[in-house]
Amino acid sequence: MDFPIADLSMPGCGLLSKNQSILAVTSSTFKSARVERIPLAISSPRMTGEIPSTTGASWPATPLLAGFVLIFFAGHASSQTPQNVPPPSDLKRLSLDELQAIEVTSVSKRPEKLSAAASSIQVITGDDIRRAGATSLPEALRLASNLQVAQVGSQGWAITARGFNNTSANKLLVLVDGRAVYTPLHAGVFWDVQDTLLEDIDRIEVISGPGATLWGGNAVNGVINISTKSAKDSQGVLITGSGGSELRGAGGMRYGGKVGANVQFRAYTKYFGRDSSALPIGQQATDDWNMGQGGFRLDWDASQVDHVTVQSDVYDGRIAQPGTNHIAVSGDNVLGRWLHTLSKDSNLSLQLYYDKTHRNIPATFVEDLQTYDADFEHRFRMAAGHNVVWGLGYRVSNDDEGNSAVLSFLPARLSRRWLSGFVEDEVPLGTDRLRLTLGTKIEHNDYTGVEVQPSGRVAWTLTQRQMLWGAISRAVRTPSRIDRDFFVPLTPGSASFFLAGGPNFVSEDVRAYELGYRSEPHDRLSLTLATFYNDYGHIRSLEQLAPPAPFPLVFLNGQTGDSYGAELTAECKVTDWWRLRSGYTALRLHIRPEPGSTDTSFGSTEAHDPSHYGTLRQSLDLPAHLQFDLGFRYVGQIVNQTVPAYRELDGRLAWRATPTVEFSIVGQNLLHAHHAEFGVLATRKEAERGVDGKLVWRF
Amino acid sequence: MALLRIVAQMRVRRSVQASVGTWCVVCGLLIVGGLDASAQTATSREYQVKAVFLFNFAHFVEWPAGAFASADSPIVIGVLGESPFGAYLDETVQGENVSNRPLQIQRYRRVDEIKTCHVLFISRSEAHRLEQILAALRDRSILIVGDGDDFVQRGGMIRLATAQNKIRMIVSVEAAKAASLTISSKLLRSADVVTASKK
Repeated sequence: MDFPIADLSMPGCGLLSKNQSILAVTSSTFKSARVERIPLAISSPRMTGEIPSTTGASWPATPLLAGFVLIFFAGHASSQTPQNVPPPSDLKRLSLDELQAIEVTSVSKRPEKLSAAASSIQVITGDDIRRAGATSLPEALRLASNLQVAQVGSQGWAITARGFNNTSANKLLVLVDGRAVYTPLHAGVFWDVQDTLLEDIDRIEVISGPGATLWGGNAVNGVINISTKSAKDSQGVLITGSGGSELRGAGGMRYGGKVGANVQFRAYTKYFGRDSSALPIGQQATDDWNMGQGGFRLDWDASQVDHVTVQSDVYDGRIAQPGTNHIAVSGDNVLGRWLHTLSKDSNLSLQLYYDKTHRNIPATFVEDLQTYDADFEHRFRMAAGHNVVWGLGYRVSNDDEGNSAVLSFLPARLSRRWLSGFVEDEVPLGTDRLRLTLGTKIEHNDYTGVEVQPSGRVAWTLTQRQMLWGAISRAVRTPSRIDRDFFVPLTPGSASFFLAGGPNFVSEDVRAYELGYRSEPHDRLSLTLATFYNDYGHIRSLEQLAPPAPFPLVFLNGQTGDSYGAELTAECKVTDWWRLRSGYTALRLHIRPEPGSTDTSFGSTEAHDPSHYGTLRQSLDLPAHLQFDLGFRYVGQIVNQTVPAYRELDGRLAWRATPTVEFSIVGQNLLHAHHAEFGVLATRKEAERGVDGKLVWRF
Repeated sequence: MALLRIVAQMRVRRSVQASVGTWCVVCGLLIVGGLDASAQTATSREYQVKAVFLFNFAHFVEWPAGAFASADSPIVIGVLGESPFGAYLDETVQGENVSNRPLQIQRYRRVDEIKTCHVLFISRSEAHRLEQILAALRDRSILIVGDGDDFVQRGGMIRLATAQNKIRMIVSVEAAKAASLTISSKLLRSADVVTASKK
């Protein structure tokens, strides 16, 4: 077969979307569900060795180089090393069902595995999450080296891509099985309540760079798309139990079964209790917490051309606060999706969901949010190689704020609506090796009216093993409630304010230029490099209403900025039983006041970013059914919060005692008793070393 | 509370010098160095498991009496085209017996080399001429296994599909029946059964 041509033209491969990831090469019928893995460059590597943090004046070239060269030579060495192949006798003892449950990494030599996606994408598989010993979604996201992930206390996280990190980082679109989970309150994500049974996660796709055209609102700097397994792939009973020093106790249970020939389902429940994080002086920060969650997913092959998915989750948690009552969080959601195949070259999907969240922070605020969302999508292939996808979306969110004496949202109750449409066309430019994707999203929101977010992408397949891509896009972050409706009184209960949302706040926008390269120089080695330059306008600023008086302040769009950087990943399968992965990201972000602005923070209220960070991860399969994993990370200092650079190490040793029972011991943050990842010293909470054991039993 | 923190800490961010050259050096070295490396021949985990599936099929399929020369003649597992199994398939069946019949591995380059064969794995290298191969083997009692896309739709009997990192059996009972083969219900219970209407 000639290079990617066939697969590039396949719906769902060249074009990314909510329901069809690049990993899902959807065939003519969903029934046959040809979901083949395309492993190459789109995995989730981590990186790297000792990096001097003292000067910050130049990038640490030498250790990095040494790291990569080491990996590279390890790859070479493997050609001469005999392979450690498990004897057939081990596999022959297994039943057909057990054989089908074995995870294999497809190292198909077919050329089309070189991903055709013209964007910086990394994929975290369920197996990666298991082997990393991650106990929560944010921990799993550390595996994507194009994300900045910082722990801010026991339950809080600051996560972004390509800068602007904050505990309410607002330039990321996060989807869980097609459901957007960033809050319209401040456009950030409450990471503490984003959870599921980690064993049932199929994959997490992390795209750095704008994805607004196809994926939807808020995808200014990146998209995180979390997909759980279909019910078909999570049959049987799974029981997990773990406990240790930080994860005090956790348990989960899932049952997957069939109803008739065409309906499969699973139901799960889980619970965990987590220990407090530490204050910088070492004392406990009193933010221990616990949460319980349950849910189900049902997949129905309604006919040869129709597939229906219905799923739902419900959760409830309590988070301790020093000196006052617990924070209470709860929520539930229901989602339905219908996939319909019209022909070999055409399919459509309709998705509806309802999502309810509740958060009560005593004496601060209470939020009740209900979201209703409908999405329609149609993709088809036209003559002359055009792959077209278009869609419509409508969302309503009803927000009810229980305001307090210290902060308010005015009006307290608000219903907001979004109507959006998008179209994207992928077409070969004379040859199938050069493909152009043009598209735009047009969205109407209540605050700023119509927003247009176009993008153009070019993918150039140089050889079967090398690909270049480039893109220019525009994306916006439309105002959230905090930008417009926020109100902080000068003194508690006062009618005059210290800080308020601005009625004139408009959308923040970015024009993003990207250039990337993917290569598989060797069957066992893959490399990717993604570079970017982002030009931001209308960045949020805090303006003095009556200068020179320092207060009151209002939100306006008085800042501008730009950023540039590079994301490098390398993955090496040294032997069949030893894999190395690394990732390194460098970032420079400059924010400046516009003429006339009174905000002289140079972005220090909006962005808290290390200028570089990297990971190195090794996965080793040992005899006697043992697995040993280590993950090292280095994160540079966050200058505007005076958070020092840090190095940390996670490890996991697992023993598969029988085909159905696995014991593991996981160590997190092993190098320090506690270390800072984010936040100014006055309010900082630090992640602690943790060791816990885990048992997984499947039958 | 994150919302409140926005009003705190206004400080000038120091800009830091950068050098992009390092990247070019690292990438250049890796790419140039990596290109000359030789290909690997080890059997991947995927094909180790698939080899064991082939071995298992010998247990779960009944051949008509005429498929064997005598009561103790071997069950032949053949591979047509470029074998992805290396020596692993041979190791898998070594010393094994199924219903008192030893197991034997054969490799074929062309379909007309196939004499006695009971389980045939058609390699992806033959995907472009699958129809001709199937036509040539028509009415012979051979269990035809493959792992290419649409293998079953194109007339194969069992496809070992790699989906979401696992291997799944997709079986066409009709195709097996047409070759006078009986696939055990035990196997079918674990498999995705494709019926004629879905072709």
